[in-house]
Amino acid sequence: MTTWDQRQPIYQQLADLLAAQLLDGQPPEGEAMPSVRALAALHLLNPLTVSRALQALAEAGLVENRRGLGQFVVPGARESLRAAERERFLQTEWPRLRERLKRLGIGTEQLTWEDPR
Amino acid sequence: MTADLLVEARGLTVRYGRKAAVDDVTFSIPKGRVVGLLGHNGAGKTTLMKALVGLVAAQGECRVLGLDPVRQRVALLQSACYIPDVAILPRWARVSELISLMSDLHPRFSSERARALLKRTSVDVNDKVKSLSKGMVAQAHLALIASIDARLMILDEPTLGLDVLSRKAFYEMLIDEWCDGERSVVISTHQVEEIESLLSDVMMLNEGKLVLSISLEDMDRRFVALGHDAAAAEQMAAAHPLLRYRVQGAGSATHAALFDGPPPDEVQALGRPMRPSLVDLFVALTRKPEIDRTQF
Repeated sequence: MTTWDQRQPIYQQLADLLAAQLLDGQPPEGEAMPSVRALAALHLLNPLTVSRALQALAEAGLVENRRGLGQFVVPGARESLRAAERERFLQTEWPRLRERLKRLGIGTEQLTWEDPR
Repeated sequence: MTADLLVEARGLTVRYGRKAAVDDVTFSIPKGRVVGLLGHNGAGKTTLMKALVGLVAAQGECRVLGLDPVRQRVALLQSACYIPDVAILPRWARVSELISLMSDLHPRFSSERARALLKRTSVDVNDKVKSLSKGMVAQAHLALIASIDARLMILDEPTLGLDVLSRKAFYEMLIDEWCDGERSVVISTHQVEEIESLLSDVMMLNEGKLVLSISLEDMDRRFVALGHDAAAAEQMAAAHPLLRYRVQGAGSATHAALFDGPPPDEVQALGRPMRPSLVDLFVALTRKPEIDRTQF
């Protein structure tokens, strides 16, 4: 079963989870999101909670409601998610990482872009 | 009576001798809800559920689907279905025989739907009940009563004794096949943590009294949990929270304090707001009072 932490409301955690999947192209732009019922059964969530999560994604401009058809991934959703993630990395993660690299004395010459074999 | 309210109870009381098993309970259940009925053993959960389906006589007002559960029981059972905590299916029967039996007994039972629901499970209609595992019996039972075209389902500890996978399968079927935004379901269970995310509302009974009846959305708004570190513990305690407990996996916070309503400003600055969990709230509101030793 999906476990939910105690830091945030569950609908927010589901919205984050769905956003992370959208970033990976699941489902692709222009395609339908899974139905409220399917998501509720999959994650064992109350359908109202699922609706709130989808609502949050709609307010973020990532999905849109097509009357009678459900929610669809908005074209450009991945790019706007990636931009938001990039911004979040630069604002919050990078300063912490930079601080740690400095403390450990790791310079750019020791960092490689190659994946280890 | 509003059409959207499936249950309306006011001052509902059930007495066994001199003891009130359900004591002056007032609540309503709208349509489209998943209501968790929580309480320790002996808190009155089973008695309250029995009162809702007319199996015990209650004082006070009680309308279920607009009907009096005792005097209009037959009419009520056309549109309300119930799995009691002592539910058993006859061990010698085949599932297909139970489907025929239900078709004969219940005017709103659909054997087609029962067969369709059973296809979701590993239960075969030709299986005998005695050859099924506990989890399969529970699923078969749910499939049977979910095939009644009803508006209210009452489940008294439906997953007691089932392993985690069986419980998951049971709840998946419940959410997927029953919850359509119109029908409601009331579930009692001790596995509070497990069903928290399924619920839209919660009712907590303690010694027959309804100590809380609230939607989960309102619960998130009303109760505030503050995560904090050990250093802030004393100041938190001084603010008289409902409950203090230890937490894991919440960053630097090792403790949390649960408040009914916004905590005092000076305390708020010491912690970080967290999602109050149903279990913590349940513990806070149903702690057994100290045993009164003066009587011995």
